[in-house]
This record gives sequence, structure tokens and C-alpha cells, in this order.
Amino acid sequence: MPLLEVENLKVSYGDFQAVNGVSLTLDEGQTISIIGANGAGKSTLLNAISGIHGQKTGTVRFAGKDITRHRADRIARAGMTMVPEGRRLFGSLSVEENLLIGASAGRAGQWTTGAIYELFPILGELRHAVANSLSGGQQQMVAIGRALMTNPRVLLCDELSLGLAPTIINDIYRCFGAIRSTGVSIVVIEQNVTQAVAAAGYAYCLLEGQVSLEGPTDMLAMDDITAAYFGTEKTE
Amino acid sequence: MIWVETIVNGMLLGGLYALVGLGLGYAFGIMKIVNVTQGDFIVAAAFLGVFLVPWTPVHPLLVIVPVAAISFGVGILLQWLLINRVLGQDPIPQILLTFGLAIVLRNGMVELYGANSHSIDVGELRFMGFDFLGLRLGVLPVVILGIALALFAGLHLWMRRSRMGRIIRATADDHQVAQLSGINYRRVYGIAMGIAMALSAVAGVLLAMRGSFTPYSGADRLLIAFEVVVIGGLGSFWGMFAGGIILGVTQLVALKLDPSSGLMWGHLMFLLILFLSPNGIAGMVRR
Ligand SMILES: Nc1ncnc2c1ncn2[C@@H]1O[C@H](COP(=O)(O)OP(=O)(O)OP(=O)(O)O)[C@@H](O)[C@H]1O
Ligand SMILES: [Mg+2]
Repeated sequence: MPLLEVENLKVSYGDFQAVNGVSLTLDEGQTISIIGANGAGKSTLLNAISGIHGQKTGTVRFAGKDITRHRADRIARAGMTMVPEGRRLFGSLSVEENLLIGASAGRAGQWTTGAIYELFPILGELRHAVANSLSGGQQQMVAIGRALMTNPRVLLCDELSLGLAPTIINDIYRCFGAIRSTGVSIVVIEQNVTQAVAAAGYAYCLLEGQVSLEGPTDMLAMDDITAAYFGTEKTE
Repeated sequence: MIWVETIVNGMLLGGLYALVGLGLGYAFGIMKIVNVTQGDFIVAAAFLGVFLVPWTPVHPLLVIVPVAAISFGVGILLQWLLINRVLGQDPIPQILLTFGLAIVLRNGMVELYGANSHSIDVGELRFMGFDFLGLRLGVLPVVILGIALALFAGLHLWMRRSRMGRIIRATADDHQVAQLSGINYRRVYGIAMGIAMALSAVAGVLLAMRGSFTPYSGADRLLIAFEVVVIGGLGSFWGMFAGGIILGVTQLVALKLDPSSGLMWGHLMFLLILFLSPNGIAGMVRR
């Protein structure tokens, strides 16, 4: 039984349907990625899965339970949380306070502030700094740390590379190994195809709210991905 | 010397005005909700005080404890049962809802108690005075300022240091993302509104001990609360405290010069500050 199972999910903003029937599965310990261009519906899909966005039909099953209609806070307490697009830290709180908010989910596990500072040593030095004063890369680390502090079984990551320099993006993605080794299953959303394909074992390509291509990342040809990504015909 | 005494008395009154604004400003700072009911609720709490004083042991002043506890519960229920239903991008439904409730509350009080003026009897404490550096001050105003200061400082510390305070601050920053950490922001809003109403209620009881009130006093109280919050710079604790002091001092000094002016000069001072610094005192300091 997959840990996360999404079936024919349709998500709307009022009359506008941004996700048109997406299905995907995530097994325990697996990392999958969802790629797609600007406006493909990636964030909308993730917001719907995490419970932030309520206007949807279809099914989301987590650990065998139908959670389609559950609120986001309940889903987080059950063990699935998200690193939101654009980081969205609690700007007036310190780094450490942001992390401790993650602990509000009340889930025991190996992710404590100490473990986060081991994963991102710079955050230990900045623990008393106000979140708003950090650089983009440091903020992204806090956002990941805050999500890990809920001790999730599934971590949904929305465009971690957004607005960051390439070297910093590599630093951020390097932490995935350590996170996976604690048994966390991960869904990564990216516009950055190379990064997403490298990070995951299985990838879905989203185009105008629908899956245009999917498969194990080592089986996907770059040409096919490009065609599915932009919705163009493959160049022979 | 008589002017120093007037200014000191203005500060004593101003501390209480600051407390009148604190509840409104606290709720606004966290939820971006303007709970118009708070003006009339301040009056309702004073009636509750009148009712409970005969049963209050040790000293009538302690009536603020049960009144605050009951108001905390009322605030939570108000938020959970009514205001949470109309939350959203549009602030109008929530203002209409609380405005409607305020009218119901006021008419209910007029129906029950008539238009007469009332006050809470604190016994001889009301007439006791003492000499301080050549000034003649009342004991009750000083005690009330002490209570106001203690509530400001206590709330500030609790918000900074406690786990719940941290959760409330995070929810104020971004209630949607707070959910991703397992926080039910509607429940947090209820607690915040409970605290806000308890603060307003204590202010109402203390006002009724210093002076008098009628079922119609709510509009005046709400105006003072608005002015304190706006002068203070929307949600800044110590800005609000300074705002209350400015209003209190202005009012008493003006009354000395022009005994029939009532609250007018306080309101003019409010407009002047708003004109000079649209972000209030906190905005001035930040600049
Ligand atoms: N709040 C909203 N109201 C209305 N439409 C929206 C809203 N948010 C997104 N959309 C629309 O839904 C579609 C999908 O947007 P979404 O943010 O999910 O795309 P995305 O794949 O995450 O894009 P990006 O890579 O730029 O983050 C877009 O057409 C967008 O304009
Ligand atoms: Mg997006």
C-alpha cells in the first residue's frame, strides 16, 4: 500500500480549474518529483494535497486513510506537511522560534532543534536572529527545518530553488540524503528540471493541470521531458 | 505645582485609557479583526462587576478576577461560534457582525437597567489620598495605573516567553502556514479573542470604579480604544501605552483650561498625531 495516493484530483479557484484530474503515488521512503513550467498547477496540486486549499474533488489517501476533506493542521498532525513556495517564515519570530513552531504538531521523533542545527550548522549560529533578517538560502533552511520539526512521514517541498543562486541550491538539496535516511518520504516540486530529476527516483511532468509524462527518472529521456514540459511536439 | 499635579493625574487616567485600547489593539494585531462589540462589552463588564461586587470576598477591587474569567469565556465563544464563520479576505462581514452584536448588547442593557448612570462601589478606597513629593494623589487612580501596567507587562512577557504566546505570534504572522505545523488557527483566534475581551472587561470595571457609566457609554469607550490603538501604531504594546498617556494628559490639562471641553481636546490631539505621523508613535520611533 502506498503511503500517499492521489486519485483524479481536480482543484479550482472559483470557476477556474487549475488541476484537471491528477493521480500519483508515493511509497514509503521514496522521493518523487513533479516538474512543470510556470503556472502548470504544481503549487495548486501541493496546496490541495497538504490541505491548505479546500476547493477540490477526487481522493487523497494518506497512510490508508481518506484525508481529502481534512484540514491542513489535522493532516500535519497526522504526519504530512509542506515547505511552502516562497518559504513564508514567521517573519517576526527568531530562527529557533520558527523551528519550535514546527514542534507544535506534537509528533515525537528524531527531529529536534539540535538535529536541525546539525543538518544546517549556520542556523545554530543564527538561532536568535529574526527570521526576516536572513538571506534567502538561510530562510529556505529554516523553512525546511520548521517542516522537519513536525517529524513528518511525508515532506512536500514547493520549489526550494526559487530565487536562490545555483551554489546555494546545491547546498539545500544536499540535505536530502540526511532527511531520507531518517525514513521521510519526499515530494519535490521544481521548475528546475535537472535538480528535480537528480533528487528523485520517479518524476511526473505537469502541463496545464494534467500529467503529461511520468516515469522512473533513469528511464526518462531529456527530449521527452522537454516536450512534456513545454507541451511541444518532440523534435525528431 | 497644580499643573504638575494635573499632568500626573492625566498620566494616571491615561494608563487606564491605554488598557481600554489594549484589548482592541491586541485582537487587531493578531487577527486583523476590528471587534466593534468591545466598546459595549466594556460597559456590559461594568454591569457584571456591579452585580458581582456584593459576592466578592476580601476587597471589591478583586471583582476584576471573576469578570475577567467570565469575559475570557465569552470572547472564546464569540470567536468560535460567530466571528470564525465570517473570516476571509473581506473585512466587511466581520465588522457588520460585531456592529450588530454591539447594538443588541446596548439595547439589552438599556432594557434591563434604564438610562441611569451607575458606578462600582469600592468603599472608602475611592476617597483615600496620599501626599507624594508635595503632590496630593488618589490611592485608587494609582492602584488602577499599577494594574494597567502589570497587565501590559504581563501580557508582553507571556507573548514573548510562553509556548502559547509563540504560537499566537506565529499565527498572527501567517495563519495559513501555521496550519502546516499542526496549528488550528481558529482555535488560536478564540484564545486571542478571549484574552482581548478579558482585558477590555477589566478596563470597563476599573473605569466604573473611577467614574460612572450608563448603558450608552460604549460608544465613548470604543472611541478612546480606537484612538489609543491608532496613536500607538496598530498593535505595538508600548506605543498603545504611550497613546493612552497622551490622551489622558491632554484631556485633564484641557479640562483645567476649559472646564466644559470634555473629551474634545483629546480627540483633537488624536487627529493632530494622526496628521503628523499616520503610523502613530511606533511609526515615529521607527523612522
Ligand atoms: N489564488 C489564485 N486564484 C486564481 N488563480 C490562481 C491562484 N493561484 C494560482 N492560480 C492559477 O492557477 C494556475 C496554476 O498556478 P500554480 O501556482 O499552481 O502554478 P505553478 O505550477 O506552481 O507555477 P510556478 O512554477 O510559477 O510556481 C495558474 O494559471 C495560476 O494563474
Ligand atoms: Mg508554484
